[in-house]
Amino acid sequence: MRARSDRFGSALAPLVVVAVLLALWQAAALAIRSSYLPPMTEILPVLGRLLWSGDLYPDLASTLARLFVGLGIGLVLGIPLGLVSGRSPAFANFITPILAAFYPVPKAALMPIVMLWFGAGDFSKILIIVLTVSLPLVYHAQQGARAVDDKMIWSAQAVGCGSLRRLFRVVLPSALPEILIGTRVAIVIGVIVTITSEMIVRQTGLGNYLFTALDMGQFTLTYAVILVVAALGFLLDWAFEIVRRRLTVWAPDRLDADVAATS
Amino acid sequence: MILIDDVSKTYRRARGKGEVPALVRIAASIADGEFVAVVGPSGCGKSTLLYMIGGFVPMTAGRILVDGKPVTGPGPDRGPVFQEFALFPWRTALDNILFGLQEQRVPKALAKARALELIEMVHLKGYEHFYPKELSGGMKQRVAIARTLAYDPAILLMDEPFGALDAHTRTMLQDELLAIWERQRKTVLFVTHGVDEAVYLADRVLVMTAAPGRIKADIPIGLPRPRRRDDLLRDPRYQNHVIEIGHLMDRPVAV
Repeated sequence: MRARSDRFGSALAPLVVVAVLLALWQAAALAIRSSYLPPMTEILPVLGRLLWSGDLYPDLASTLARLFVGLGIGLVLGIPLGLVSGRSPAFANFITPILAAFYPVPKAALMPIVMLWFGAGDFSKILIIVLTVSLPLVYHAQQGARAVDDKMIWSAQAVGCGSLRRLFRVVLPSALPEILIGTRVAIVIGVIVTITSEMIVRQTGLGNYLFTALDMGQFTLTYAVILVVAALGFLLDWAFEIVRRRLTVWAPDRLDADVAATS
Repeated sequence: MILIDDVSKTYRRARGKGEVPALVRIAASIADGEFVAVVGPSGCGKSTLLYMIGGFVPMTAGRILVDGKPVTGPGPDRGPVFQEFALFPWRTALDNILFGLQEQRVPKALAKARALELIEMVHLKGYEHFYPKELSGGMKQRVAIARTLAYDPAILLMDEPFGALDAHTRTMLQDELLAIWERQRKTVLFVTHGVDEAVYLADRVLVMTAAPGRIKADIPIGLPRPRRRDDLLRDPRYQNHVIEIGHLMDRPVAV
């Protein structure tokens, strides 16, 4: 009974927060009365027309396509790299300084250079996305691989499970909860870098649509697109959380344990 | 047959601050089918000795022979059971037990039948599809024992297997282990700091000194088998062994 009302409450809470934020915005806009800050009562109808007309969808689709391709390649590259470096100190010593130096560089800022090499097409954008999302994946996979219990490894070794096989049969599943936390981070910063790269190389995508609206002084439309980006981030994160929970039902979780103990 | 031939283990301290001897010149032999307990104060290196026999930890000097062959690494002839269970948390009880059989490429149907048999043997029927986090400590250790028995190692290396369990569960698992051992007669090396547990289970008890560990005494336990707890607790020979070994461990006997 309590669990149900909690669940209802947790579904309601974000809606309340959004409603409060929109109301504050409305109040501020009515107080300031500037074309740079249109009221929600103007933005929301524009947003409605934008979604209804379908004008935005080709750009939304190209943003999502780049994001998912970039994430996919990032997962395939980052996770094995992280797992191996988590189990092999020699390999970790080799790649850690490279990663540490590369992590703080804003990858979108490399866009102009990458474009010099590879042109202004999708390849350059996806490359930037891959470079960005790989880093948290490598770090979290590495951390997860390091934390694997020795005795779990020994239990596998005893039955002749060799080191490469162990990587898939023991290290990967054991590190999965940590990897999925890295993936969640990767999705969020993936959205950021995808849209940023579209703002720099203005061809297609939500970032391009947003900057075009801004250039033309369509502030209401600009805000409507920003709301679309925010909703996109929220929905991706929400959907991923469902996947993440499904994949880690087995993982010991303090909160789950408490619920089980009190029910 | 396990032959521990003049084995020493030295740990290097952090940041090169010298070396610490953990085990000094250990020599012992364990016959096939023998149940040998190793007792000693905590930190005496008894678990390390077990890990070296398992091939999980390298030794600094000496050698260990299992059936005449020197130990160079882990192998399915030596099955470990750990105090912390070390189950695969993403696998259900049944899938944990299946792991070794899958690694050894036992045909699926056969492996499943064997795993279900083991589930029954360790009294976990109905819990096949539970994840380790859904099981109690005693149940987890039952799964871990079944996981190791599944690939039928000739030697069981048990590292304080019941040390993390409550007294009642420990008693139950001791009896279950004895019942399984009576039937299978595997060689068992059982590390514990419980003197009564060692005397109750073992044919022989090796007593170790505090760190650095040496073997202080090798005490045969001539109690009849199959053992029944009630009879044993009343048996003066059992009581004398517990008292004697307790004194050897340099501490008063807990009553």
